[in-house]
Parts: sequence; structure tokens; C-alpha cells
Amino acid sequence: MVSDYQVVVIGAGLGGVASAALLAKNGFKTLLLEQSDTVGGCCSTFENQGYRFDTGATMVMIREPLEAIFRRLGKEMGDFLKLIPCDPIYAVRAFDGTRFAVPADLDQASEMIASIAPEESNGWKEFARAGRELALRLGEIIGTPANSVSEVLRMQLRSPETFRYLLLSLRSAQGLTLRYLRNPVLQSIVAFQSYFAGAPPELGLGPSCFLVLSEHQGVYYPRGGMISVPASILKAAEEFNLEVALERKVERILLEGGRARGVLLEDGTEIIADIVVSNVNAKVTYLKMIGPENLPRWAVKAISSYQLAMAYPMVYLGLDAEPPLEAHHLISTASMERSNQVWNEYYKLGLIPPGDNWMLSWPTESDPSLAPEGHHILSFAWRGPAPYAPLGENWDRLRESLGDGAIRVLEREVMPDIRKHIEVVEVSTPLDFERRLLCPQGAVYGLFFDLFSAAMFRPHPRSRVVRNLYLAGASTCLGGGVPTALASGIIASDYIIRDYG
Amino acid sequence: MKKSRKLMALAALAGSVALWFSLSESTRRYIVHLGKQVPYLPYRYFI
Repeated sequence: MVSDYQVVVIGAGLGGVASAALLAKNGFKTLLLEQSDTVGGCCSTFENQGYRFDTGATMVMIREPLEAIFRRLGKEMGDFLKLIPCDPIYAVRAFDGTRFAVPADLDQASEMIASIAPEESNGWKEFARAGRELALRLGEIIGTPANSVSEVLRMQLRSPETFRYLLLSLRSAQGLTLRYLRNPVLQSIVAFQSYFAGAPPELGLGPSCFLVLSEHQGVYYPRGGMISVPASILKAAEEFNLEVALERKVERILLEGGRARGVLLEDGTEIIADIVVSNVNAKVTYLKMIGPENLPRWAVKAISSYQLAMAYPMVYLGLDAEPPLEAHHLISTASMERSNQVWNEYYKLGLIPPGDNWMLSWPTESDPSLAPEGHHILSFAWRGPAPYAPLGENWDRLRESLGDGAIRVLEREVMPDIRKHIEVVEVSTPLDFERRLLCPQGAVYGLFFDLFSAAMFRPHPRSRVVRNLYLAGASTCLGGGVPTALASGIIASDYIIRDYG
Repeated sequence: MKKSRKLMALAALAGSVALWFSLSESTRRYIVHLGKQVPYLPYRYFI
């Protein structure tokens, strides 16, 4: 038994890393436990034959939470992390064959949109005007706790101009998109964003369609790969005696009289601490690590009622040649109707959808040091969405066809002779994400994200069921993604500092 | 009095049905999707 810590943080994903670093800085003796051999969770990087592939997350946008963490640590972010701007922010291959690249500057992007869809010029301006305030303030909004009625009211009082976005949340992403845009290509790009938030356009949270505007605040790639984000935070927190233990899997959260008192590791070691922070999916935290037998019935009902977010299979390729791409990111979009159809007629029935929606990242365009000289990396993310349990199939059996399917798409759409340039192929299926990252059903975005599973209807960062237990990560606050996961760590640490500091 | 109340209720019901069928299929799915979660909201708020 080890009992030398005030705080034990489970999981070195971004939320865990951020909360552990900030708590250590505030004088809490903190231990960060990670079951795998590296930090970052979905925001990590692994190496194969000299190629450094990003596990899941492929970009940094909305920098505010990241900057806030370094500021709170009393460090200059630039001393630890170099963010390379991506401009154009992405290239688009729309379902009707339209191809263009979107410049980072919003005015330039608006001009370009006016040239490809002249009839939409006014609609786009209206859309941009409606979402501008949200896009500008998104960094501040995601870093502000909104986990209860009083917190939401406080947020509205502090930024009254964001009130209308609260009202717009009553509409679906599709409803809001159709209010402004008529052009099917523009609709498809805006609709693509709702899959970033983990839902099809017809079910997604209305304001998620404005994410397309927040990208114009800047899309970045961290030098050294996505792992540089968590690694740089840990480096900055080194002097605060933060202990990080890799390959230490937590089996249970120990309880005593309704409060968390530490964790039990897989190897039988008990670590006693005053406070436990779980950066693991909230369903796993409550239903496996604590167990339904230790929870009131209403809490079991609440946590069981959440649907998991969808899974995103990924295919990583190491090439001995440069791909003919115009931007670091390339998105292929299906029409909005098709995106909904794929959800209703494939995903919900357990069928693997055709690959209409996908995103291709080319990290070596921004950072050539990730591959041997002259070689390149492509990461192909199916934004299918992909069912966890494909009907009559198994992802382990589908692994090869998944990789081959991605290569066929790239042969057709990007690089006809790609096969002869491939040196390495790696595939991450939803099962792999579940095994490696402990994301149940491969749900890297945590819980499904919609009006009734966001903010105050999402599991509270300060558990209301188990005292001394705090939650961070994609299943809390405003969901998955680099900025929101980082913000969840800030919010969890703020609660702890307020309660115990 | 009773009769007029019944008539009003019937008109409201008919109006709701008409409104429901005037909505697009996507909007209907959105409402059903959210509606299914309503019973859990009080529990979710407190977890």
C-alpha cells in the first residue's frame, strides 16, 4: 500500500495531464497514473519504422485552454511547444466534385465562397455574422464551467451576448445550417463539423455548425507530433514534483463511507489519496471502477442512459514520396442528407457505411521531421461513422479490408500510384482504440454530444455521487477534442483548488 | 362549458398532429431523439 499522495489522477489523456499539472503547481502532491506506455491518450504519437504517427487527434484549434494552462503554470508556452499554423486550414473534395482549399483568413475564405457559390454570398455573410461572436469567444466559453443552472446563469451574466447561442442550442446543427445556407456544398462542409462534435447534422447541437468559423481563429500542428501537447505540459510541470507512472492500470476506485480514498491497481497495489481524479470515460469510471453496487439506483440509471460517442477508425500510411496535396488537411464531404442517411440506414443498424465522409491529414507537410528524409505520413480518418459491433463481422477480421479500403479511396481521389510508395500501413479499429486507450466501444469522443448530454446534463466534474471524486476528459463538460479535453482538466483542477486549496 | 372544453382539446390535438406531419422527417427524428432522453434529465443533472 502506498499512501503518500493528496491526489491520484487516473489516465494521462489531455484532461488528466492538464489537471495533474495544475494541481501539482498549486501544491497538491499529485500522482498521474497511465495504463499505457505513453502519455496523451487520443492526443499521442507512436513510432513504426522511423515514421511517427498521431494516434487520434490531428490538429490543435482554439488555443485558449492550452495557453491558459501554461499561463497558470507560470511558463511561456513558446519555450515548450511550437505550434505551426496550417494555412490553408483544409482542402475540400465535395460530393459533387467541387474542389477548393479554404484559406485561414476569414475574409479571404468569404471571397472564395462567393466565387464558388455566388448565390450564397449573402447567406454566408449572415451565417458568419451569426456565428462570429461564438467563434471569437469559444475559447473562453469552453473554459468556463457550465455544469449547473447557477453556473450557466453566471456565464450568461458575464457574457450576455452569448445568450442567443443558448437559444440556438434548441435547434439541430442541420436546422441552423439550413436557416442560412442553401448551397449543398457549403451545407456539406458545415455539416461535416457536426461529426467533429460526434453527431450527424440532424441530431447535433445547433451551434456546433459554427465550428467552421472558429477554425478561422487558427488551426495548428504541434512540432514533434500531437504528443508534444501533453508532453510539453508535463515538461513545464516538472519542477512542481508531479509524479507520472506509466503502465500502471487502475482496476478500481477505492471507497470508504461514500468517499473516494484511493485506487487499486491491476497488480494489487493500493494507492491511498485524499482526492481521485478520473480522466477515464465516465461510464467506465462509475460502472466499472466504482461499480453499480456502490452507487444509488438513480445514479446507475443516469450514467447508463448516456449513449457513447461514435468510433472513428484510422489508417496510417508511411510513404517514400510526397503526396500531391494542397493542404495539411483534406476533407471529403457527403451531402447533408447523405450524412444523415448514413447514420440512420447504416450506423444505427450496425452496418459499415460507404466511405463518403473522411479526413486526410498530412503531418509531414508541417513537420517533415516526423518521417525519414523525403518520406511522408498520411493519416486517414473514416468519419463514417463506424459501428462498434458491425453486423455479422468483427473489427479484427476487418482490419485488412479497412486499410485496403482507405488505400483504394486515396488511389482514386489523391494519388493513383500510392500503392507503390507505401512502406508502412497501420490500422486502428474501434476495438484497437478500446484496447489501447480504454475508450469503451472505441468512443474517442467519450459520450454522445447533443442538447441533452452537454454541459449541465453531462457527468459533473465534481462527482455528486462519490465525495472526493472528480472527473475530467471527453465525457465531461463540452465533450471531446483537444481544446475541450484540456479545458476539462482546468475545470476539474479549479473545483479541487476551490474545495481544498 | 364541458362541450367547448372537449372541442378545444380536440382542436389542440388535431393541430398538434397536423404540426407534427408538417415537420420534415429530420426534424421529427431530432424531436424523437431528444424526447427519448427527457425522462433521464433529472438524473443526469445530478450525476
